[in-house]
Amino acid sequence: MKRFGILLLALAAFALGQSPLEKLKSALDRLRGPAHQAVYALTVERPGSSRTYRLRVYTDGERAHLRVLEPKAEAGMAFLSLGQDLYLFDPRLGRTLRLPPSGRSERFLGSDLTYQDLMGRDLEELFQVTEEGGALRLVPKPGAPTPYGRVEVYLKEGFIERVLYYDQRGQAVRELRLGSYQRLDGAYLPRTLELKDLTRQGYRTLVEVTEVQVGPVPERCFNPLYLERGC
Amino acid sequence: MSLLRLAWRNVLRQRRRTALLSLVVVYVTVAVLFLFGFLDGYGESLVEAYAEYVEAPVVVAREVWWQDPDPENGFRELPAVAHPLVRAATPRLSLYALLRSPYRVQGGVVLGVDPEGEKALSRVPFKVSQGRWLSAPGEAVLGQRLAERLDVRVGERLVVETRKGALGLQVVGLVRAGVGNVDFGGVYVHLEDAQRLSGGRVLATHLALKVPRGKEEGVAKALNQVLPEGLRAQGVWELMGPIRADYEGSRLFYVPLLGLFMLLAAVAVVSTTYVSVRERLREFAVVESLGLSPFRLAAQVALEAALASGLGLLLGLLLGYALLWYTSTHDVFGPLMRLSVELLPESGLSEHLYTALRPVYALYAATVVGLSALLALLFPGRLVLALEPTRYLKGE
Repeated sequence: MKRFGILLLALAAFALGQSPLEKLKSALDRLRGPAHQAVYALTVERPGSSRTYRLRVYTDGERAHLRVLEPKAEAGMAFLSLGQDLYLFDPRLGRTLRLPPSGRSERFLGSDLTYQDLMGRDLEELFQVTEEGGALRLVPKPGAPTPYGRVEVYLKEGFIERVLYYDQRGQAVRELRLGSYQRLDGAYLPRTLELKDLTRQGYRTLVEVTEVQVGPVPERCFNPLYLERGC
Repeated sequence: MSLLRLAWRNVLRQRRRTALLSLVVVYVTVAVLFLFGFLDGYGESLVEAYAEYVEAPVVVAREVWWQDPDPENGFRELPAVAHPLVRAATPRLSLYALLRSPYRVQGGVVLGVDPEGEKALSRVPFKVSQGRWLSAPGEAVLGQRLAERLDVRVGERLVVETRKGALGLQVVGLVRAGVGNVDFGGVYVHLEDAQRLSGGRVLATHLALKVPRGKEEGVAKALNQVLPEGLRAQGVWELMGPIRADYEGSRLFYVPLLGLFMLLAAVAVVSTTYVSVRERLREFAVVESLGLSPFRLAAQVALEAALASGLGLLLGLLLGYALLWYTSTHDVFGPLMRLSVELLPESGLSEHLYTALRPVYALYAATVVGLSALLALLFPGRLVLALEPTRYLKGE
């Protein structure tokens, strides 16, 4: 008990010593998890309808290869994110396309998620970070290419629990909730993700991470040539 | 002169028939005047929209840019353009970009401009309805309807993304020009920002030139004789998009249609004249026996047809020019054009259309008089030429 108290104190001291930006960086680092393969269930809810995609995901924490398993109509579509480069394979076209960096702001599979939400580091690159009332308050740097007026990041024990995006009129427009963090091979991975479009009622996207296999991912998974045949 | 008096008396003798004949010609004359005025007015509104708002009177660019308008094919150094009719020149950099607000993402063409140079060339800077025109890098001016669609207001940040970079620009003004491309799709940024968004390797994609109205094609042609190899100038007419085909298609459709209208009007006049001549064959026989030659009789018939249609022409010109004057000074077609702009926001249509008013339309409309006289000479006239006076005098 005494040992636990000392550990808690040490953690608190560490947390107190971190700047808001460092806290944000550390929390973002914990979003990515270790190198792993998993099946992500992506549910896109719209007023009166809902659609669920099952995706096979291969990631080393920096790069990601996503492959649609279900539904049948979209099965075989694959995405590869390599830093700023984004590739898409569409079996209907039978071709791999390289998307421009602006494609990272596009909605992913018609959901409320963008590629930036999945893989990006916009929050630390485009915003100035301060801490207010236990939450990180992010305001855009001058001329930063973000349409948001403010972002609030709520942390719980160093993990991102909730991100609230505000427009430039002070109105919350998007809410991202992350939960069920699991420690896997020394890294953390959120198992659930919920994104709500607060400007439109009934627009919600849920991601659930299942069938996680921690371990190195073959290098070929990050080669655009393998988008078509899979790795 | 006596022949004319005789023809005039015959025209007045059948007042009701003459009135009906003239009415047909009135209708056709008004239709000819109005349609030519409308078509020319439509063409002028397109030229004005493209020369003053959407493009420029003349544009100079590299041949490769005309074929593939990628910013990479733009100017790495600006060419010197000299022509006595060029009143102003300003560089522009156009590039395709994604526009992102907190609520919407939309693709569009961003035009990088020199804020002061643009004032000398385009009317867009003077059509700012909210806020102000560009003055420095980091700013953007949007078409008002585009801003509504993106839900961006003056003072807010808009993200402009290309494959070479992204910028957060402050919206400093909204433009309401009454031209679809500007109001629904206009995105104006400082030339330096556009250069950054294009990767910083090109200064501009094209050079916009101001030349007097009506001289656009001539100046472009003259410039093409002296421009260095690899550069090409285009006049406003060539710069128009598919709407030019629509305009030319309209002319191709309506001009023959008007020709048909005039022919039918002339046929109506001549068929009535034919009936009139048939009824008066005995009278013609008497006149011929008194010494008037058959050719002069046929000329009299042609004159009668010309006079009857001439009366209609005069009245038609009066009514037609009154209508054209009204529609050239009042925004009668405004509601129709606004609807068209809503339906085809990127066609370069203007919300206002005023008909043209040109004296030459009277000449076009007068064709019906000439046609009537000619046909009268050919058909009822031939009846008179083939007349056998003795047969009619005997009462057979």
